[in-house]
Amino acid sequence: MGLLSKILLAPFLGPVWGTQWTLEKVDRVVREELTNDEPIKEDLMKLQLELESGEIDDDEYVRREGEIMVRLREVREWREKFGMGTSGGPVRVAESDESE
Amino acid sequence: MTAESVSAMTDSAPLEGKYVYCIIRNDRSREFGEIGIGSGARVYTVSHKDLAAVVSDTPIVIYDPTRENVLAHEFVNETVMREFTLIPMSFGTIFRSENDVRALLNSTYQAFTDVLDKMQDKIEFGLKILWDRDKVVAAIERDNDEIRRLKDEITRNAASSTYFARMQLGRLVEAAMEEASNRYVNDIHEQLKDTSVASRSNKVIGDRMILNAAFLVERKDEKGFDEKVKAISLQYEDLLTFKYTGPWPPYNFVNIKLKLEKAT
Repeated sequence: MGLLSKILLAPFLGPVWGTQWTLEKVDRVVREELTNDEPIKEDLMKLQLELESGEIDDDEYVRREGEIMVRLREVREWREKFGMGTSGGPVRVAESDESE
Repeated sequence: MTAESVSAMTDSAPLEGKYVYCIIRNDRSREFGEIGIGSGARVYTVSHKDLAAVVSDTPIVIYDPTRENVLAHEFVNETVMREFTLIPMSFGTIFRSENDVRALLNSTYQAFTDVLDKMQDKIEFGLKILWDRDKVVAAIERDNDEIRRLKDEITRNAASSTYFARMQLGRLVEAAMEEASNRYVNDIHEQLKDTSVASRSNKVIGDRMILNAAFLVERKDEKGFDEKVKAISLQYEDLLTFKYTGPWPPYNFVNIKLKLEKAT
């Protein structure tokens, strides 16, 4: 979010539409970053690999796993806020599919 | 106040949901023991015609993919797999009731049946291969004339050797490493082709991994595939580390897009 505040606080330089466009783009980038759990899942897999290869011990694993779970929950919350799909939790067969 | 809210939470969270592990073909009800997610819940089947979902009771919660939870999910599937061909469900899938589970079996009956036919008596193995960069670089410097010559030249004229020469060496080594990685991976795939039905390469994790693949293998070929992997790992003993896992349910070879929505 550091980037966003820097851009917001920067002196006004370009024409208005330019600023608007930049803000929209920043918004998109920020949103993408907040709602993307792929890099977090990758971190989890890396962590597992480190445990398997003996680079870290069990305590270290549990500690960092906890941090990763917090990040995953944050992404889940943002996805819900933006009305995007989330995995896990209660589901049912989609209504539109029950044509019988 | 804390105690109150905790008890309020447990009161309002009875074991009303069904956690679904996998789909199998079985027309009688079955018990798989108290091995389910959430400290050993009873694992049993919910049937529709000749299909069954393997489930356990759960509160309506979102399960974090912690090692403990993922292992519990996995352990159930491994247990079921000893007797059945199965279609694994993705981690954390919960339905509100047995009827909702039956609705899934009913609405996806044909796709499940087709996939179960296709996956009959097939299992998956995982193969991750890591390399030791230093050893691979040493092997490249030994085998590649151009790189060896350039390196000798740079060490001989350490003082006068140019930045450009070093850059060029770096670039040549990078290219040779990529070529070596491709060569190893192709060779390994080629050697495993005869004993596997299909393979899939996933994105590599971290900077030491050169292969992250899954192989679909006929149960009857399991021993042959095993031996082949062992032979290859011996062949590359000095350069590569093999991480060989399985048998798994066919996670990487089943791709049914379930039409599910959030149940509020």
